[in-house]
Amino acid sequence: MRWMRQNISTVLLWIVLLTMPFWMKAVGGYTELATRVVVMGLAAMALNFLLGFTGTLSFGHAAYFGIGAYGVGMTIKYLVPSTALGMVVGVISGTLAAALIGALIVRLRGVYFAMVTIAFGQVFYFIAFRWNSVTGGDDGLNGWQRQALKLGWTTLDIQTHDKTFYYFALTCFALSALAMALLLKSPFGRTLVAIRENERRARFLGINVERHLWLSFVISCAFVSVAGTLYALLNNFTDPRALRWDMSGNFVIMAVLGGMRSFWGPLIGAAIFVVLQDYVSSVTENWMSVVGLVFVLVVLFFPRGVLGLLRGRGKL
Amino acid sequence: MQQLILFNIFNGLIVGAFYALMALGLSLILNLSGVINFAHGGFLALGAYLAYTLMPFVGFWGALLLAPFLTAGIGLVIERLMIRRLYGRDPLYSLLLTFGLAYILEDVARFIWGAQSLPYPVPAWLTRPLSSQYFFLTGYRLFMVLLVALAVSALFLILRHTRLGMRIRAGTLDLETVSALGVNVRVLRNLNFGLGIYLAGLAGVLAAGMLGLQPTIGTSLIMPSFVAIIVGGLGSLPGTLFGGLLIGIASGLTTVFFPSASEAIIYVMMGLVLLLRPRGLFGEEGRVQ
Amino acid sequence: MSLLRAEQVSCSFGSLKAVSGVSLSIAPGELRALIGANGAGKTTFFNLISGFLPPTGGAIIFDGIDITAVPAHRRVGMGIARTFQITEVFPDLSVRENLRIPVEVASGMARHAWLSRGKSAAVMERVDELLSLGGLADKAERLAGELSHGDQRAIEILMALALKPRLLLLDEPTAGMGDQETFDITELIRKLHREHALSILLVEHDMRVVFHLADRIMVMAEGVVLADGTPEQIAADERVQSAYLGQGDS
Repeated sequence: MRWMRQNISTVLLWIVLLTMPFWMKAVGGYTELATRVVVMGLAAMALNFLLGFTGTLSFGHAAYFGIGAYGVGMTIKYLVPSTALGMVVGVISGTLAAALIGALIVRLRGVYFAMVTIAFGQVFYFIAFRWNSVTGGDDGLNGWQRQALKLGWTTLDIQTHDKTFYYFALTCFALSALAMALLLKSPFGRTLVAIRENERRARFLGINVERHLWLSFVISCAFVSVAGTLYALLNNFTDPRALRWDMSGNFVIMAVLGGMRSFWGPLIGAAIFVVLQDYVSSVTENWMSVVGLVFVLVVLFFPRGVLGLLRGRGKL
Repeated sequence: MQQLILFNIFNGLIVGAFYALMALGLSLILNLSGVINFAHGGFLALGAYLAYTLMPFVGFWGALLLAPFLTAGIGLVIERLMIRRLYGRDPLYSLLLTFGLAYILEDVARFIWGAQSLPYPVPAWLTRPLSSQYFFLTGYRLFMVLLVALAVSALFLILRHTRLGMRIRAGTLDLETVSALGVNVRVLRNLNFGLGIYLAGLAGVLAAGMLGLQPTIGTSLIMPSFVAIIVGGLGSLPGTLFGGLLIGIASGLTTVFFPSASEAIIYVMMGLVLLLRPRGLFGEEGRVQ
Repeated sequence: MSLLRAEQVSCSFGSLKAVSGVSLSIAPGELRALIGANGAGKTTFFNLISGFLPPTGGAIIFDGIDITAVPAHRRVGMGIARTFQITEVFPDLSVRENLRIPVEVASGMARHAWLSRGKSAAVMERVDELLSLGGLADKAERLAGELSHGDQRAIEILMALALKPRLLLLDEPTAGMGDQETFDITELIRKLHREHALSILLVEHDMRVVFHLADRIMVMAEGVVLADGTPEQIAADERVQSAYLGQGDS
């Protein structure tokens, strides 16, 4: 039971997540919103692997999110109507892109690294926009749907049942979160924290900083592309907006809002952000200003985020 | 064919001049304060819309003169109230802040002036082509290039010969020493920011005359400015100028041979520079880290 | 055969010749001290050996291998570890965590995504060994950034030790310390030298420490070698006396 006490917050969190579709309606939400929280939560946590734990500023993660989204959509639409295959294609594409781009930019640091990630994010936005014969351009990729999952002994109808899809997404989320947690607790994960804390020292401890940064970048983007596939599957649609600078910015603000230095922080931040955005956009047309205001207020007054505040002191 | 190439090179030069103008403003702010001003596009749009609003009262030339200053003024206020608080911190926060400002500026523009495109009236005598053979040499395009050249020259003169300019240059190299020499660094950063925003506002007014006005005009122009800085060299203003012109001309030339690739070429160039010379063509060693 | 040999090493920053044609050799198990006034080029030379800076001339040979072009993190793997003049531990991690990282790197686990229980226990054992060597066992769980300057220095040296180096480079280990802390660090260094047979290159200002510990001393001034010999020879050398020792001690 000591294990329970130490991890009580994680246990509570999972209870909430596992039961969300059931109490969501009672508080004025809906299942799809819950799924969106999980999907964005995964994206924000994946970004935070790089941002909060490795200390690297990436503002272009939407690129890999979008590649995942388009990957699954295009596979189902043009190749094979299979959700599983589509997801595999989406994740592999996103990971491959990250591996290539990461190798190119890993020698840069700080603001310059951030600039370049933004620029590369824009490259993919631009491709999605222009290549309209394949991607549907500005109108987006539609005319396809997530397919039911055939699992050998049964078929999961994630296509028509919102709740079933929610649990599917939650499972993907859980597996990804588990993988990331294990990585962060491993020797490799510790070298990332070392790099964040003092890069020069890490180098002089024999850590190949560039190689480890590249690995962290690739891992982070791989999981963000998982989130991207889920995003497309959720909406049965994807468009260039999934790749845009504001999507990248949203991931970062979710991580910061929830607390960059904690593992679950970004999920909390995503929950707040997604719900807020949903509510505000139904009330006013100027929800973009509200979102922008959130950015400004968080940065000026709330930089440690929710979990950072709850934990008390700690460096930014 | 020759005409086509010339047309596109000239077009590329105009486009490049824009990119350079915007990139220079971005570069100024980045070099001195280490802030990536993602809201730069928003200020560009603001400049354009302010000019549009002023024009019925002060005419084309009045708007051209006043709008950039107004925009710079707003920039000064924003720097003073918000950005200044973030200098000591991780660059993450200033970037997030400017992201948020970009959202707000775009939405405010949409709110006040509407989402649809607005035409920006330019005096008729400016839009006439100067020669029937080179029809693309309209007065306005030439005017724009000249104005950008003027602004850029003025900028470099300010940086070389005024006290403010010298302090900015010194501060870019070593802010601590400059501060120890008694310069008020906060005011310096503030004025530098204002100068950068002035350039954004000016670019906005000029762009409006050519492209018309929409709330998204800023975000479409900001990315090439990023690329201009990355290609031209981090920390180097002449590099940024060169980078902007280079990608503009490259884009223009590509239009002749591969029209669909003309926008992509700037990103290809960026990729090449990162591969072969990460600090940029004129970048300074050590700036990258 | 010498463990480390620097041959006519130079490093210039533009027209400034920070280090000019410096040659040095360290025998296995030797404790070498490098002294000189500020600006003499000691730290630059140090940075050249550890791989922080590339030399503009000359060669550096470690255990018979030319490491002049080898990057810093790779030199660590070959057996060269260093500390920094301004203490650079990981301030927000506990002492134990600080030591764990170099132990894992040295055991080749830097990129391991998973650790078996056996290996994990071995790592912890080694960390405990290091903690007791430095007398920090009771402070193991405290955040490194909260400890005293002397303790942080000790952590740094222990971290370097965790890398199982053959050559330890110590950059002004007693800088900014009071008498007791200086004594503690000196004793730690001596223990490492005698009991663990480590070769050490020490940059120092405190002459008491230097003469107490060093087998041989090299004196630098303005980027070149002024004198090189045993402590007795150096103490008796007139040039050194006037140029450096006569200026008083730290």
